Amino acid sequence: MNSPRVLIIIPCYNEQATIAALLEEISDCKQGYETIVIDDCSQDDTYKIACQLSPTVRLLKNLGIGGAVQTGIKYAYNKGFDFCVQIDGDAQHKPGEISKLLKAYKQIPRSIIIGSRYLQSDTFRSTHARRFGGRVIAKTLNALFTQCLVTDPTSGMRLMDRKVIEFFAKHYPHDFPEPISLAWALKKGFSVGEIQVKMRTRTHGNSSIMGFKPISYMFRVLGYIVLARFMRVSSL
Amino acid sequence: MHTVSIKTIVLVLSFIGGYMFFIIRKTARGKLDLYDLIMLSTVAIIPGAFAIFPGFADWVADITGVGFPFVVMFGMLFAILFIFIHRLTVKIHRLESESCLLLQELSLLKQTNRSKNELTD
Repeated sequence: MNSPRVLIIIPCYNEQATIAALLEEISDCKQGYETIVIDDCSQDDTYKIACQLSPTVRLLKNLGIGGAVQTGIKYAYNKGFDFCVQIDGDAQHKPGEISKLLKAYKQIPRSIIIGSRYLQSDTFRSTHARRFGGRVIAKTLNALFTQCLVTDPTSGMRLMDRKVIEFFAKHYPHDFPEPISLAWALKKGFSVGEIQVKMRTRTHGNSSIMGFKPISYMFRVLGYIVLARFMRVSSL
Repeated sequence: MHTVSIKTIVLVLSFIGGYMFFIIRKTARGKLDLYDLIMLSTVAIIPGAFAIFPGFADWVADITGVGFPFVVMFGMLFAILFIFIHRLTVKIHRLESESCLLLQELSLLKQTNRSKNELTD
């Protein structure tokens, strides 16, 4: 049996400091992963650097993380990949951990496998507001969707199988995509699993969710999740 | 029963005339479509009808149980405006989704063309 084709989707915005090292790290894994870098209209040399090391799509206008990830998913769908794995371009996610996601899928096939920071250990450093927001979102998802038991719904490291690739290629949220896309997938009947992964702390740039933003983020995401719970499946 | 002076009628008619001329000219130049013209013209037509036919305003206020006829007029204007804004919101949302989709497809197409060119070079 042929080994499955795995595409790593790397959405980037102004990641010139980390993108080359990340792509080299993926190549060093020697697992046969293919990569696609989605440059979300960066103002630095991200595109120029990424182009030399990997197939790269430069979005003609900044679409935000949701639009960038969906472009990668569409690429995976068009090229017939069996799995795609989303990781961040800031090198917080370790490419070496991707094999854990695939192994978890082989053991118990679930349509989406999240690389969780909090499943077994609680040592990942983050702000209190972000942790609180993440916990509330996780508890709400688990309460509203009975088949769901996640600890890290905002994780940007996720494996998606072919069925979810097909679904997300057509329907993917552009605002707060990670938790809302989970809610949409659960509503559609896809299964979601988690596996503990190690992540690095950010070394370059700043997160877009700082200060009081995690709280506003939490309330807006909760609204979308409740909406997803009660919307018709046919509307997705 | 309210009465309306000639001065008021002239004032309202000049407003209606000026405003209708302005939006009809915009429509003729293709800056507004017919639906926009109809919706926006109600901003002139409703106050005009209320000013020129005060008996109509009294009658509407009476059957709706509203104490002041001008409240009915503002209510009708708000309703029209709400429908207009609702339609615009839906339209903007749809256009936003469509432009995002187009940008994604175009960006992917450019990448495919570039890969093909690299292979042929």
